[in-house]
Amino acid sequence: MSEKEHKVSRRQFLSYCLMGVGGFMAAAAVTPMARFALDPALEAGGESDYVSVASVDDLTEEPKRFDFKVTVEDAWYESEQSRTAWIYREGNEIIALSPVCTHLGCTVNWDANEDHPNQFYCPCHHGRFEKSGKNIANTPPTRPLDVYDMEVRDGTVYLGRTIQR
Amino acid sequence: MKWTTEQMDMYLKAKEYVDTAIIPLIPVDLLNDPKGKVSMGEFTTVIVDEIERQFRGRVFQIPAFTYVVGEKEEEKLQRLKDWDKHLFSNGFKHILYITSDSEWRKVENELPDMLIWIPSLSLESMEDKYAKEIIDQQMKQLLPLVTNKWQDEPKERL
Repeated sequence: MSEKEHKVSRRQFLSYCLMGVGGFMAAAAVTPMARFALDPALEAGGESDYVSVASVDDLTEEPKRFDFKVTVEDAWYESEQSRTAWIYREGNEIIALSPVCTHLGCTVNWDANEDHPNQFYCPCHHGRFEKSGKNIANTPPTRPLDVYDMEVRDGTVYLGRTIQR
Repeated sequence: MKWTTEQMDMYLKAKEYVDTAIIPLIPVDLLNDPKGKVSMGEFTTVIVDEIERQFRGRVFQIPAFTYVVGEKEEEKLQRLKDWDKHLFSNGFKHILYITSDSEWRKVENELPDMLIWIPSLSLESMEDKYAKEIIDQQMKQLLPLVTNKWQDEPKERL
């Protein structure tokens, strides 16, 4: 076998074939995995996660109730669910609280109990929260109300997911 | 809480806080005004879902009590009483039956606990926003009924 003839030996031919096919097989196995791992990272922070909820002009120092809808994807089932937020402003800051009691998930209301004005009150087991959402000692909840991830663009409040504190 | 495995875990952990069961009463009828009956069931379901959302931590939403309209009155009543008994003896001190079927009002006095009857409205052709307003209005009247019931002692069962 001379160099000039550029002949490929049987052994070389087989190993090229193996490399080629093996490469494809490896790629086929790895690509979906890599995509699966990277996709959420590429998608996170997408604008679609935020929903327009209120106009900044409508906000006061007093928490006000705003209802909105979000699309929830639950495995194979996509549904629209309503959500509520208690939103108020404090100086230049805007705070949007989740109404879900951190005890067992009932819905709290602002200033709803005569004995406890200017607090969030849960009618189920008398849980109470301060305006800031901080849970009041000696009531059932053990952590503050969740806050909504929030963005303000062009005078409109957009809410994202809730954040545990 | 809802009748799902996920929320059952939550219930089992927090049993002492959950003392109220709501049972939707839903008629099945294909002969007389079937669509009206469906609408009753639908409306009841919407209302019950909403009450559950408000009071999730104290209220357990039981699967609907369904009945064919021809079912004998006493038998139907007895069946519901059996449900009630089962729930009551397993820790639910307050039991609410919620329905749009006005037939239940005739036997209201014979029921072991509280009947809430809401005349059904067809939400079918309504705009979302308008339907929501109507449900909100209903809720404003219904929620105090529930919280007031909690102030009272549980009803005695015979």
